[in-house]
Amino acid sequence: MDTDLVKLAQNGDKGAFTALAAARADRFLAASHRILRDFSLAEDATQQALLSIWRDLPQLRDPARFDAWSYRLLVRACYAEASQTRRWTPNIRLLPADEPMAADELNTVVNRDQLDRGFRRLSLDHRTVVVLHHYLDLPLDEVAEALGVPVGTVASRLHYAMRALRAALDADARSTTRKAAQ
Amino acid sequence: MSADRDVTTRIVRSWLHEDAHEDADRILNLVLDEIDTTPQRRANWLARRFPPMNSNVVRFALVAAVVVLVAVVGFQYLGNANTGDPVPSETSQPSTTPVASGEPSAPADGSLPVGSSHILWDQSQDGATPNLGIKITVTIPASGWFGDAKEGTLGKNGNVNAPDGAGLIVFARTNDLLVGSGDVYVYGDPCHWASTKPDSPVTTLDEAMAALSAQTSRDASTPVDFTHDGYAGKYINLHVPDDAVFSDCDEGQFRTFVQGDDAPRYAQDPGQFDLLRVLDVNGQLVIFDVTHYAGTPESVLDELSAIVESATLEYAP
Repeated sequence: MDTDLVKLAQNGDKGAFTALAAARADRFLAASHRILRDFSLAEDATQQALLSIWRDLPQLRDPARFDAWSYRLLVRACYAEASQTRRWTPNIRLLPADEPMAADELNTVVNRDQLDRGFRRLSLDHRTVVVLHHYLDLPLDEVAEALGVPVGTVASRLHYAMRALRAALDADARSTTRKAAQ
Repeated sequence: MSADRDVTTRIVRSWLHEDAHEDADRILNLVLDEIDTTPQRRANWLARRFPPMNSNVVRFALVAAVVVLVAVVGFQYLGNANTGDPVPSETSQPSTTPVASGEPSAPADGSLPVGSSHILWDQSQDGATPNLGIKITVTIPASGWFGDAKEGTLGKNGNVNAPDGAGLIVFARTNDLLVGSGDVYVYGDPCHWASTKPDSPVTTLDEAMAALSAQTSRDASTPVDFTHDGYAGKYINLHVPDDAVFSDCDEGQFRTFVQGDDAPRYAQDPGQFDLLRVLDVNGQLVIFDVTHYAGTPESVLDELSAIVESATLEYAP
């Protein structure tokens, strides 16, 4: 556990902060990339989040909750980046896969496109919950803690988001079926 | 249906976990360069006592208080506070304190502009999260008041010490689990607090008043009901005995209560009066601790009263 590093960093130890930040930077960038769907915005959000962590670390009450707290700052930075620009890149790059998919379901470019479009149609709140839960693997109570909202709100957002994504995939399936029937 | 959900979840998770090789080294190096010139913010939840003042500021406060006398509009409930028994009105409303027309200009000394709305306490979270607790706004009725929203404090010319200081400090629980303050524990004996912290916090107005009334080593008035900004409350006057010797107390502190584990409220000086106005805001206790002394000018008490009366509360669950 990084508790000792957190305590050191809270007291201004830059070496300790460097170790904490280095262990999380890639993950932060990946998560913010998925939330914002824009790599340059994600870089800015990651940078701001890490700086906020350094600046506000003495205010963290319980060093053992560093991760939840740091995710909160990351999410806040993502929201700040999203609010500063209306620019949503129309053509995000598809993320290259270097390992087999978990199932056949994702083996088609069509599915990826449908997912991407469906995902980008979600609100920022909903995308964030999906990424925190299904990408960072945070349980719902930790997502709630990171967002500062009740668990019920997280569950509701997640339900809505997944329903919307399922609808996006279903629409693709129906389209494919119709084409096959013609 | 459940199977559909499982399939969707698997697809979404697979899609999210596709390896994009995000490499944050460049960002990390930028951050590490920047922290050299980025100071850390201190932990505001540790400081729950007015900061000590130097004598020059105290002297300045005396002079300023006299000057301000002529400009003060009277407010009533602290009128007899020089006796240590300030009594607020039983039904107080948001302030009708005159507000200067136009945008109040900020004094050069850093004090709060007369007539300005000042955020006394704000637990709201910007950006991603909604408000997670109480936001309290007050109106500044006269010159010479210094405050810090992060600290939840106001002081007349920064002087909150004996023999003539006056100030206000607020304690309000936040719902934020990560950075917020916790429950309030009232010590059985403010002087020997280390061994008299109760196992349970006070969670209601009645519990708070009962615990405060029962404190040893000090004097307390009878609690009185009141309402403020639509919320029910009770107030009580506490007094630190004039002959109290803080150095004889645990760690040299005369503590009334502690919020959470690390935000104690402890007295500035012997002879201190604390009017504790405790509100029940949707089940959460909000404490306005109005501090003064026998030598505090009545005009300053009027200003302080006006500030407290003007407080408006916003609550976010």
